[in-house]
Amino acid sequence: MKKIAVCYKWVLNDADIRVNEKSRELDLEKSKPQINEYDRNGLETGVKLKALFPEAELVGVTCGPDVEPSTKDALSRGPDTVYFLNDAALAEADSTTTSKVLAGIVRHLGNVDVVICSEGSSDVYAQQNGPRLAALLGYPSVSYVSAVSVDGDVLTLDRKLEQGTETVTVKAPVVISVSPDVCDAPIPSVKQILGAKKKPAHALTLADAGLSADAVKPLITVNSVKAPLSSRKAVNLGEDVPEAVAKLVKQLAGEGLL
Amino acid sequence: MADYDAIVVGAGLAGSTAAYCMAKEGLSVLVLERGNAAGAKNVTGGRLYGHSLEKILPGFADEAPVERKVVRERVSMMTDDSCFTADFHSSRFNDPASASYTVLRAEFDAWLAGKAEEAGCDVVCPAVADELLRDNGKVVGVRAGEDDLTAEVVLLADGVNSLLGQKAGLKKELAANFVAVGCKEVVELPKNVINDRFGLNDGEGMAHLFAGSPSNGMMGGGFLYTNKESVCVGLVVSVEEMAKSSVRLPDMMEKFRESAPLKPLLTGGKLVEYSAHLVPEGGLHMLPVLSADNLLLLGDAAGLCMNLGYTVRGMDLAVASGQMAAQTVIEAKEKGDYSNATLSGYKKKLENSFVLKDLHTHRNAPEFMEHTPRMFKEYPELAAEAFTRLFKVDGEPSRLMLKKMLPLVFKVGILNLAKDGFKAVRAL
Repeated sequence: MKKIAVCYKWVLNDADIRVNEKSRELDLEKSKPQINEYDRNGLETGVKLKALFPEAELVGVTCGPDVEPSTKDALSRGPDTVYFLNDAALAEADSTTTSKVLAGIVRHLGNVDVVICSEGSSDVYAQQNGPRLAALLGYPSVSYVSAVSVDGDVLTLDRKLEQGTETVTVKAPVVISVSPDVCDAPIPSVKQILGAKKKPAHALTLADAGLSADAVKPLITVNSVKAPLSSRKAVNLGEDVPEAVAKLVKQLAGEGLL
Repeated sequence: MADYDAIVVGAGLAGSTAAYCMAKEGLSVLVLERGNAAGAKNVTGGRLYGHSLEKILPGFADEAPVERKVVRERVSMMTDDSCFTADFHSSRFNDPASASYTVLRAEFDAWLAGKAEEAGCDVVCPAVADELLRDNGKVVGVRAGEDDLTAEVVLLADGVNSLLGQKAGLKKELAANFVAVGCKEVVELPKNVINDRFGLNDGEGMAHLFAGSPSNGMMGGGFLYTNKESVCVGLVVSVEEMAKSSVRLPDMMEKFRESAPLKPLLTGGKLVEYSAHLVPEGGLHMLPVLSADNLLLLGDAAGLCMNLGYTVRGMDLAVASGQMAAQTVIEAKEKGDYSNATLSGYKKKLENSFVLKDLHTHRNAPEFMEHTPRMFKEYPELAAEAFTRLFKVDGEPSRLMLKKMLPLVFKVGILNLAKDGFKAVRAL
């Protein structure tokens, strides 16, 4: 095994996304970008694979409208290098576009034995990039991977399915989509963070990925994103505790909840 | 050969200032911050006196994420049903040397750490410095997780508890009477609502301190600071007294927020943040050993904080301690001597500056407050009763002012009043 690529997405931290209660629109102002949490398990899967093949090159791959700041964080998580494709046209990219761009980058890298994706990103969680990427590259696709072992160029993979666990073997090259339980994603150490500054990150253009500007135009236009509102009854039961308890019991009974 | 000239533990105001000043002089500096970002773990009531940072980064307030410049000061004495307030609005604090600003640490500290990074420091977060690294007893760096990181000198700016400072024997475990617990809520309100409610123009801010019922008569008080589009409101109460109290801090906070004077100021606001933190309040009496061979102690870790009741300061002291620690380390590098013989120059610098001079001037303030519980119980009640008698018209035969007020004075005791007044002006 000579080359392992791990795809990651630079997403907004969903913990800091707020909802405007009037318009129900998302307020993204306080939310800072970070590496998609699930992709951190993907990167660590790459690190573990590389440990078995010390000669292999571990490459981080990403694309988006503003992904250059992601490279340091990604490199601190183990890859030898990162190839990123920064293009404002990717701001509205859907899975069709993203998988095309990722496939273009993987082709540009050449001779990639294993492409690792996570099951989805914390922002849209479309769960499509792994299988789509495999189709575009002509590689087999193995999804829901919860354990990886390797013998030469044959991978034995556990797939965690609803009904049980399926174990499959597949010959590289292959695209695998890993679930978060495939391995822990450790927080990078100080030396890893410092070391990341010395590792190379390569900027690519759409042309490098063999794509025209037209090819990355989104097929789906998102007109609006609105958060669901949970309605609260906002009943004030007063300050007298015994009375409030009686009211509460009555209210709950009235709702058929008791 | 060490990895760095200096390792700074903690990217608060003291740590980042020290790192910035050292890097500016060409020293190689590593800053370790345990929060996900600088400022993530820090809490302030709200106000930074700008003078010390102004000396390092002139005009910083134009660039830094400060919230509002304080032009309005209020001090209140509160009882459960009354509130007496002194209100001072002035443009006399306008020049940068005496200006103060309300700040939110998550943004302000991140900015200052960014300055240190721009100056050439390696700033790593999140990274926890677990222990000091020693070689034959000599401090040679820190251990963070499994990583050993070496430096000629370690600057501990790791906050009020400073576990590393304790382990190194520079300071003792915090005594309950030397620390207070602070809690704070950030309530979001539109800018124009804040301007209207507090009588402020755009960019202008207010600082408001409360004594009496907010701390339930215990040593401490309440505070309210205005930010651009939010208000910080909270309490600071002696840990020693809190430990004996049957009332919990969150309940006191709730009561304070819902009190008649506060409620209309916060109405319609949205609670967006809740935080709590320890505050070093022992002043000079809790001053630790500030330096040892290859080791310095800065900011809150060194207990550099002053609470006089009418002003509360810590961040300006932290910034100055960072600058002086940096100067000391720069001298040590020139001499090639990082032993305490050189590093003890840090304490001398602090002694010759406002930092230890002010702590010395007000050295009796913590003791005064601790031993004058009347400040937090009887006097707010006295003020309330005095103004009630002054303003109350109920058809009962009125009396001359002297006759209205004199009985009140006797209630507390003329001697007590004179004694406390005398002690107050000498200690605060």
